[in-house]
Amino acid sequence: MESATVINNKTSVAPRSSFETRYKRQIGLFLISPWLVGLLILKLVPILASLVISFTDYQLLSPDKIRFIGVQNYLDVFKDNTAAFVLWQTIKLALIIIPLQITVSIGIAAMLNDRRLLMKDTIRTLFFLPSIIPAFAVILMWQGFLDPGIGWLNRLFLQPLKLENLPAFSPAGDMDPLLFLTPLWTIGPGILIMMGAMQGISSEIYEAAWLDGAGRLTRFFKMTIPLITPAIFFSLILNLTAVFGGAILLDRGSTYRGELSSYDGYVNYVLLDLFHVGYASSLAWFFFVFVMIVILILFGTSWRWVYFPDRER
Amino acid sequence: MRRVLPFNLFVWILLLLYLLPVCFMIVTALKPTEQLMDRNAPLYPAMHVSFEYQGRDYRLYHVPAGGGVRKWALIKPRPDTAEFIDPQHPETGPIKWEGNWRSLKGVYKFHIEWENFTKLFGSLLFPRMFLNTFLMTFIGEIAILTSSILVAYGFSRFSLPGGNLLFYILIATILIPEKVTFIPTFFVYVNFLHWMGTFLPILVPLFFGNAVYIFLLRQNFRSIPIELEEAAMLDGAGPLQRLFYVILPQSLPVVITVSLLHFFYAWNEIREVSLYIGSNMKLIPLSYGVQNYQSFTPIQNLVEASTIVVLAFPVMLLFLFQRFFMQGLVITGAEK
Repeated sequence: MESATVINNKTSVAPRSSFETRYKRQIGLFLISPWLVGLLILKLVPILASLVISFTDYQLLSPDKIRFIGVQNYLDVFKDNTAAFVLWQTIKLALIIIPLQITVSIGIAAMLNDRRLLMKDTIRTLFFLPSIIPAFAVILMWQGFLDPGIGWLNRLFLQPLKLENLPAFSPAGDMDPLLFLTPLWTIGPGILIMMGAMQGISSEIYEAAWLDGAGRLTRFFKMTIPLITPAIFFSLILNLTAVFGGAILLDRGSTYRGELSSYDGYVNYVLLDLFHVGYASSLAWFFFVFVMIVILILFGTSWRWVYFPDRER
Repeated sequence: MRRVLPFNLFVWILLLLYLLPVCFMIVTALKPTEQLMDRNAPLYPAMHVSFEYQGRDYRLYHVPAGGGVRKWALIKPRPDTAEFIDPQHPETGPIKWEGNWRSLKGVYKFHIEWENFTKLFGSLLFPRMFLNTFLMTFIGEIAILTSSILVAYGFSRFSLPGGNLLFYILIATILIPEKVTFIPTFFVYVNFLHWMGTFLPILVPLFFGNAVYIFLLRQNFRSIPIELEEAAMLDGAGPLQRLFYVILPQSLPVVITVSLLHFFYAWNEIREVSLYIGSNMKLIPLSYGVQNYQSFTPIQNLVEASTIVVLAFPVMLLFLFQRFFMQGLVITGAEK
């Protein structure tokens, strides 16, 4: 997709009078009203409500005995060993998997964007295919694939090469390999994002660099990568929220008991098995604040490494 | 173009490796169940050949005997010996053979077990589930597209009170983990509104737009030259007409991409379904129904067959729209 050549930098029609400005504002407000209303009733009010709940000891089984216990919940969170353990597991997971996701998506996108590629659309579609498989099916599929008896990994590769059979597999613990494999195998939307960013770079820059003698690797690492840092940043934020329990673009969904990160699982457990709604809310908020801090740090340092075309530095 | 062929070869090999599990799924779905238990069975879908002798069917094995490998039917399996019948000379009677018959490779013939699929249609209410999924997805698509496009248009072309503040708030909402909003909303849906067991908790939020789609659409709308809209305005087009006749045709690839992304999400959606619809048998969509089936019947070939059934429609859509979809999502830093 070529970027449109803009002759001037106008993005909205210049208002000719204050009446027109007001009129335009009204239309604008009207147009975004669905989102605005949704923001209020689906986001702001629940957030406030959950904040309030987190200061109570509301339990589902005895809803009348609700008491306002102030910060007690949060103090308990700090003392909660399971929460600490599970939080650390989630952080470890994020540290490993997010760089992998970004690297793999850039790599595959670079490959799919290459001018030499034949049957572009078909190949890209085929690479996207695994990401539309439902999550539970993906896990079962891989279990079958890795199965020592009928799985292809053993039958097609390991046996002919007389290597060890992989032991029979079941998702166990937090660090089982499937946890890493699944997000990488279903990285379709991530590839889309990187591909779009790469296509937004005009080819003249590459030609100029080639004229100056820059080789393939130089062109890739010193030009492509820096120019797609906005997409990398976007992907980083998205993947971060996905690991930490946000459900968005890249979420293919598992049951409310299924989760990507252990912290998520722990909150689910407290909420749905122990029914300690108040404590679960405080756990969720603790996590929320934690993630927010990380994201704010990311935003704060972004000016150093993300390329903003408009800013003249 | 130098080195076109090696590069493409590399890509194709990588693609093949990448899609191996998918091939596994397809091939396994066509296998009869008994083939799964036999470690020595071939990889392609096949059926164990049997031979009828004295009114009963016996299976053939490759038996090493008399200086070669014969194909004999096993009639009396014993731990250390076995009796066979030669299908080509049944009149010679049972043949005794020393050895462990379990180590023998069976004689298989290529065979596709279509019954896997018919069995599925027998045990699951596929028509009902298809209908439910269709309804949920279709209504959801209309809801989310209408709201997101409208809101994105509003953000892209109109000055709003507070300037860009609302837009930044939009981006901020992407970062909110679901957990913090989930608990209160669940209570409201179930205890106040009594929406448990209906599609409403899933569908209603979609009428308010999705921040990520709005963001993507808005970026795309902004990149369309304003002159086109000004020309339309000169002809007397109001905002909605401009949206419909100028903006949308220009941004069709992104709109299609967004709809497809949401479609795949909604078709496979399980989290909210399991929460709100799990109890209502009549409204169960494909995703939840099949997943339940797979956890109760973890037989590989049936599992894969059911997955294929769920996947059939989305895959079809994916290939139908691939030309639009594969142009990628353009996310540049340009804030024009």
